Amino acid sequence: MNKPILLSRSNIFLFIIVLALIAFPFVMDSRTLTILVTQILIFGILAMSYDILLGYTGIVSFGHAMFFGIGAYCTAIMLNDFESTIFVFIGSIAVGMVIAGILSFIVGLLTLRLKSHFFAMLTMAISGLLLVVAEKWRSVTKGNDGFTFKAPEVFKDRIVFYLVVLALIVIVFIVLKRFVNSPLGRVLIAVRENEQRTKSLGFKTLYYKVIASVLAGVIASLAGSLYAVSLRFVNTAVLTMEITLDALLMTIIGGVGTLIGPLVGAVVIESAQHYLSGLARDFPIFERWIIFFGIIYILAVIFFPKGIVGTIQAKYFQWKDKKAQLNVVPLSKNKESSK
Amino acid sequence: MMESLLKLDNINTHIGQYHILQGVHFEAKEGEVSVLLGRNGAGKTTTLKTIIGLTPATAGSVTFLNQDITKKPTYDIANLGIGYVPEDQGVFADLTVEENIKVAMRKENDESKEKLEYVLNLFPDLKKFWKKAGGNLSGGQKQMLAMARAFVNDSKLLLIDEPSKGLAPIVIEKVMEAIVEMKKQTSIVLVEQNFYMASKIGDTFTLIDDGRTVRHGEMKELIEDDELKHKYLGIG
Amino acid sequence: MDLIFSLIINGLATGMLIFLLASGLTLIFGLMHVLNFAHGGLFVWGAYAGVFSYAYSGSFIVGIIVAILTGLVFGFITEKLIITPVYGNLVQQILITLGFMLVLQEMIKVVFGPNVVAVKVPELLAGSWQLGDIIIIKYRIFIIFFGFIIFGLFHYMLTRTKIGLVVRAGVMNSEMVQALGINIKRIFLVVFMTGSALAALAGVLFAPYSGAIYAELGMEFAIMAFIVVVIGGMGSFQGSLFAAILVGLAGSFMAYYVPYLSLAVNMIIMVVVLIFRPQGLFTTAKG
Repeated sequence: MNKPILLSRSNIFLFIIVLALIAFPFVMDSRTLTILVTQILIFGILAMSYDILLGYTGIVSFGHAMFFGIGAYCTAIMLNDFESTIFVFIGSIAVGMVIAGILSFIVGLLTLRLKSHFFAMLTMAISGLLLVVAEKWRSVTKGNDGFTFKAPEVFKDRIVFYLVVLALIVIVFIVLKRFVNSPLGRVLIAVRENEQRTKSLGFKTLYYKVIASVLAGVIASLAGSLYAVSLRFVNTAVLTMEITLDALLMTIIGGVGTLIGPLVGAVVIESAQHYLSGLARDFPIFERWIIFFGIIYILAVIFFPKGIVGTIQAKYFQWKDKKAQLNVVPLSKNKESSK
Repeated sequence: MMESLLKLDNINTHIGQYHILQGVHFEAKEGEVSVLLGRNGAGKTTTLKTIIGLTPATAGSVTFLNQDITKKPTYDIANLGIGYVPEDQGVFADLTVEENIKVAMRKENDESKEKLEYVLNLFPDLKKFWKKAGGNLSGGQKQMLAMARAFVNDSKLLLIDEPSKGLAPIVIEKVMEAIVEMKKQTSIVLVEQNFYMASKIGDTFTLIDDGRTVRHGEMKELIEDDELKHKYLGIG
Repeated sequence: MDLIFSLIINGLATGMLIFLLASGLTLIFGLMHVLNFAHGGLFVWGAYAGVFSYAYSGSFIVGIIVAILTGLVFGFITEKLIITPVYGNLVQQILITLGFMLVLQEMIKVVFGPNVVAVKVPELLAGSWQLGDIIIIKYRIFIIFFGFIIFGLFHYMLTRTKIGLVVRAGVMNSEMVQALGINIKRIFLVVFMTGSALAALAGVLFAPYSGAIYAELGMEFAIMAFIVVVIGGMGSFQGSLFAAILVGLAGSFMAYYVPYLSLAVNMIIMVVVLIFRPQGLFTTAKG
């Protein structure tokens, strides 16, 4: 009974945030800030796609960067080799998504039948392999040096690009939200909670896990395409473990299995990265900001496994339960349930 | 009457979100074979696992030799003198019979050697296959190895989970003989589906149904009570 | 002929180093189902601690001892601080050990500096022998020799001593080991520390072999070790030796004949193994 009200209330909240984000570049006339927020949104898309795996299906992938990298390279190469127009850009996103989809399908089919630790290792190894291939295949990728390319004319205005990214993240959010609330998404959550049991209820869990990994891969590729255009440059860094770790950190710190959480995580991590690397100019210790992150991350996993959004949600529901109990349940029964 | 060796009082056990045991009462006396009976899924195996601490009780108490062992870790409980023979025997497949026994022997002195000799006389097959890998033994031999292993582990009480399961009748006879013989040295708690076996070697019985103790008494009473047998065991 | 011979020597030496790393990983996994993604971090810490104390003292033996001690201490800290709090939760374990890996890797840069460190082969082991056409680099022989000694030592412990039997029994069925009155967590701590020391040892032996060390090395080698563990079978000590030598040899031959396939070959072996024998080559079913 509470749920629709809560949902609509949080929808209004989200709506306001989106409005504020639309207004933001017009109010704050700062190029750096616009670029930073664009970056946050792009990583937000990536982190949300990761949440489909980690938060909703309960699988740890260490190879998410490969899909991100595929998107980035598709867009960069196509914009560089063909005309740099908006149509090529859209086409390159589509091509990236298809390739990422096919690859994640094959990888998923091959690896998702394995237990989670095998899966984690295998995805790490496969994505490591892809990185090596990209580094050796210099005629196409230019290796670690990378190459610059021209973005489509319309994106010369940073604000236009920002608004496109914003529109895309809203679409992705709605699509993913629908997905996780659909019957299919429910099965995924059941897989996360107890795969054996879901299996014994007659669901082919592999099939559902593959669907989740394909969806996550495709969305990650979209994020990669946008990332490449935002930098107008691409090198093999887009395929490295660091990208996967960023997505992982954002999801964990923000809150797994919430979709909003990874977005919050993206805000926290990206802005911290931005400001801490700024601080590094004055205080060299901040050059090693990963240490702080690593430590925060470890502490978060131990003490704060629900993340920021997850913890707030839990607190909110607790409070709500208490209120409901005080209002409805007679005292004697209340004692019973608090036992 | 004799002192009770092991006592379970209103045991409740959860596995994950499932409330498996919801009030098990049980008592085992020294020098006796106490049999846990009940249908499949009634909670007999979980009761044994709760005693040895593999699935600790969430409420109630387990007392062994006047000590509360409810919350103790498995290895402490084992060290107090409870031996465990699981349903799948838990034989270390890649270790030889000798090595399986060696892992279980706490120390090597005259007393332990004597014990070892005793079980090897009880199970001559083990001596025969001394250097054979546990995984290559037959079902009956595995059962014997598991029982021998629990015995040399200085156990005052053996928990044996369905020793007759999957064994040929002739092998079951052997296992029964061994249990009767071991009873002279140690007390035994037996989970058994095979009523013939249970009735022949059991001194007392405890009937468990849906995770609760429903009846407790001398084995003789149960043998004569056809209604009880029919109701809870589906026999007679 | 001489070429094939030196490729074999190369492959064996690399294989031995991977074996040292993988053997700890495989036992740690087998015993408690803990997949330690920080294992590679202990490898680099062993390498750096060993190399710096070798440079400071002038004795490679000191370097080796310091590396082993570093491994033991770090192993103890890791097990107590990182593994124990999330024990039994697989996803959290994977996440937290990976986070710790990052911290270990970055700490290297803080403590020892971010630059690549050049390492010389100790004088006694430098140079090569010439046998007809064949040139044998001494240090590689040393690694192979050392690796086999370690294997022999651990093989003896695992098959002949009580604690070794308990470890193997624990890999097969840890519940049963506890039901026999053995505190498996204490055994696990010992195994974890030993495994970490082996990883650190691999690090310090690797340093003069490659001539240079850097912080990211841990991750690279850890991936190799993971591949080896999967191929050999999680929990199998012999399996990890076999698979490590296989991976070492395959890598060495491929690097010469089909260079761009040299890394892919390990992956391909792993994928083939996973498809046809997902439990690995050497693991038997639990009984």
